[in-house]
Amino acid sequence: MVQSTEALTGDRELRFPDGIPGFADARRFLLTDLTDDRTFQLLQSLDDPDLSMVVSVPWLFFPDYAPELDDAEQRALDLERAEDAVVFCAVTADEDEDSLYLNLLGPFVVNARTRVGRQVVLDDPSLPARAPVSGGG
Amino acid sequence: MLVLTRRVGESIIIGDDIIVTVLDVRGDQVRVGIAAPRSVRVHREEVVRQVERENAAAAASAKRAAGLVGRRPPRPGSPPPSRKD
Repeated sequence: MVQSTEALTGDRELRFPDGIPGFADARRFLLTDLTDDRTFQLLQSLDDPDLSMVVSVPWLFFPDYAPELDDAEQRALDLERAEDAVVFCAVTADEDEDSLYLNLLGPFVVNARTRVGRQVVLDDPSLPARAPVSGGG
Repeated sequence: MLVLTRRVGESIIIGDDIIVTVLDVRGDQVRVGIAAPRSVRVHREEVVRQVERENAAAAASAKRAAGLVGRRPPRPGSPPPSRKD
């Protein structure tokens, strides 16, 4: 099993040595809880004050989601054990509706031990970059 | 962009240790093999661009998303996405 985001939230920064796709210079981030139940966090760039995004652990909404990291990704993150990996996905809000979407195609994967992470582009063309999450209420 | 013409079975070397080989051509599809060190990431371009766009969209809608999750948290247990096996 992978770690929960609890291992990463707080004051200590996460380091993304390659930035993230589209934001190559954004290498340092903070992760903070947005909701009391820890369903959603805010990933904030320490390098670019305009860059923040809501993220969420994908299994809360997609229990069968099973991202596979190839050797290259595991080595890039120094992941010796699957349990060291924390996985969360970017959340996008629709302009016109109160809809939220998760990017299952490009999860963030962080090594809980080293706090080094990457946004991994998965090699599964059936995975949506915009998977709808049903609204509450 | 460097443009080279290759036949099936011929290769291109990039840097010291990345080899791209044309394996097969069928109609308008070319099957390409890439031999690269495990530290080098190789992706279909359009998939990388899609993630870039989604990151920009997530960043642009962060305030709105944060407001939505605070007010009306989505229900867990939505149907999982379909996966090809």
